[in-house]
Amino acid sequence: MSATTQLPAAPTPPSASSPADDAPRPPQRLRRGALRSERPGVRFAAWATVVVCGGFGLLPVYWLLATSLTPRDQVFSYPPKFFPSAPTLDAFAALASNDQLFGYLRNSVIVSVITAVLSVLVSAYMGYSFSKFRYRGRRSLMYLVLASQMFPQALLLVTLYSVFSAYGLLNTYTALVLSFTTFTLPLCVWMLKGFFDTIPDELIEAARVDGASRLRIIHSIVLPLAAPGLIAAGLFAFVRGWNDFVFALTLAGPEKQTLPPGLVNTFIGEASTAWPELMAASLVVSLPVAIAFIALQKYLVGGLTAGAVKG
Amino acid sequence: MSLTLPQSALSRRRVLQLLGIGAGTAALAACAPSAPSSTGAAASAAAAGGAKTDFAFSSWSFTEEAAAPALEAIVKAYQDQAGVTVDDVSFPYNEYINQLTLQVKGGQFTGAAHVDVAWLGSLAAMGKLQDLSALTEGRGYTDAALTAAQFDGVQYGLPWTIGAIGLVANSEILQKADIDPDAFPTTVDAFEKALKDLKGLGGGLIPYAASTKAAQLKDILIWMETFGSPLVDGDTVTIGDDASVEAVTWYKSLYDQKLIAADVDRFDARSLFAQGRAAIYDDAPVGRNAVQEESPDKDLGSKLVPLSRPVLKDGETPRALVWGGAIAVVDGEGAETAADFAQFATSDLDTVLADYEVRGLPPVTTEAQQSDVVAADTFGSLFNDRITATSTSNPFWKFTAYSQIETVVAEQVQAVLVGKTDAKAAMQKAGEAAQKLVG
Repeated sequence: MSATTQLPAAPTPPSASSPADDAPRPPQRLRRGALRSERPGVRFAAWATVVVCGGFGLLPVYWLLATSLTPRDQVFSYPPKFFPSAPTLDAFAALASNDQLFGYLRNSVIVSVITAVLSVLVSAYMGYSFSKFRYRGRRSLMYLVLASQMFPQALLLVTLYSVFSAYGLLNTYTALVLSFTTFTLPLCVWMLKGFFDTIPDELIEAARVDGASRLRIIHSIVLPLAAPGLIAAGLFAFVRGWNDFVFALTLAGPEKQTLPPGLVNTFIGEASTAWPELMAASLVVSLPVAIAFIALQKYLVGGLTAGAVKG
Repeated sequence: MSLTLPQSALSRRRVLQLLGIGAGTAALAACAPSAPSSTGAAASAAAAGGAKTDFAFSSWSFTEEAAAPALEAIVKAYQDQAGVTVDDVSFPYNEYINQLTLQVKGGQFTGAAHVDVAWLGSLAAMGKLQDLSALTEGRGYTDAALTAAQFDGVQYGLPWTIGAIGLVANSEILQKADIDPDAFPTTVDAFEKALKDLKGLGGGLIPYAASTKAAQLKDILIWMETFGSPLVDGDTVTIGDDASVEAVTWYKSLYDQKLIAADVDRFDARSLFAQGRAAIYDDAPVGRNAVQEESPDKDLGSKLVPLSRPVLKDGETPRALVWGGAIAVVDGEGAETAADFAQFATSDLDTVLADYEVRGLPPVTTEAQQSDVVAADTFGSLFNDRITATSTSNPFWKFTAYSQIETVVAEQVQAVLVGKTDAKAAMQKAGEAAQKLVG
């Protein structure tokens, strides 16, 4: 980088905290041994609450796993068994031999990743505009963007179907990406606007004084600082694309179908459902999302809560 | 501090104008008129034996593990015979009618479509289904099957697998309660007594896994007919009459006596029955494979026995609801060959029998029904004699809003079952709501 475009460190106003201080942080971990210092009764109640809440959250996941390991004729056995009496990996073996599922997986990855990237790209600029510029109609536009979330999706589906049909976009990735982005954009925009609000205007002003262009300010200063928010918005958009059923079923066609409709189509029939196979497939396909969440959860929490509290 | 954009960029009014234009364009696209319909031209041409072209065939069964091989074999046989390519299209059963409607309305789908006979009215209302009556001549379809695939007297589908929804029991459990499956009670009172005897076996057995969830409570309609309600007279809904109220009151009494169980739909009923926790339930022939697959009792298939639905008074005709699939032809590209395919799939003897061996669903031609393969199937034959023979269509199917009608009735019946209201008031309300939907 040349000397003329080198941006100096932003001045820190005496009365304000540094940008780094303003940036949202992940929730603080409980100090090690904090519970130990409480009275035994309180400690027991705290742990009991953790166990109950944890069990409440994890029991469905366990049931998913247990069902995937249970032979089909024992899925509804009575009384229900907490542990499969004759565990089998048949359902997973059936998955491995089903080429169609890999096609659905590929489509899901393509559509979700592009949706996430596109949503972040567009919402970053929109969010920045709403946060840092003042112009006529700004507030109306902000609420108009949000208003699109208030239409029933089924209603929008019919309209989108007709529009995509008219433009020959049905049964393409483009149709899915555009429709998913349509739904993720409002929330991403508002999420990122909240994040940009936490970035001091003085920082941007200082960069302008130093001669940085608007684009340079956005790309070299604002967006790096907003990385947690961008990741949170991207994850939200990714999950929206990954989980959608109705739009993927209607707009994608058999070749571009994603996992949710693909799994339903494959395992839920007119008269019966292949529960072990369905559960095994659900388990396998939820792993990438679960891993992404675990890896990025601190950004997600920080990004979602940014701007929630004015300080 | 705040940054400002030049005022000349976009005024609020201009932005709103642009958004309005965009919304208007989308609305116009949504309301774009569909192609005009024609009826019967392709069927007539197919009957005359025109040149074959590629076409699409949609069915919910293409991705079903048990049924897919049968459909793939039929398609392959036709492709080999006609020298064309058939594109298969599939949607999950529960989403099928909505997806097919959208595709047909949008002009995305033409060709042959596997449909439930209950949907024919709704699909025919779009004006894009072919009249296939020219293709029924000399193929041996039974009259009952042809009638099931008609709407408003027009042959909108060629019947493929026509049966009925009736009572199915586990003969082993019946015998434990000293009930002879071949001399099953014929009246409602005797039926109720038999249910009490079954309950007496204990062990948490559900005597009759009747539908009690709103999603499947449309099953009550056949009991209303059993009690003497016509449901509809012309365009007048009769629900709310004495017979319908009596039927619901009786159903509620079964519920209160725990002879039927709470929160049961067709899937639940199959599971309960497959596990030996229910003695009797309502199902169509398509459920046979499902209960056998889900059951730990590998011999369950031999214990299945279809039963005539009891009647109010001896001598009356047992009621059953027509169930089945047909192949309809959507007008447009490939429709002529699609119509020929529909005829082939539903009435070519070798094809039908090969299909029967895989799916076990009742065929629709006399020749197929009398074949050794079908006649040797005891359950299928008994089902046909005891249930399908006296089955009738749901009178609401002739209305395009039939699904909503069934839903409003089901919701009121459920309100009665959980004690929120009484049968008379509920049926009055259901009748009025249904009448509004009929128009």
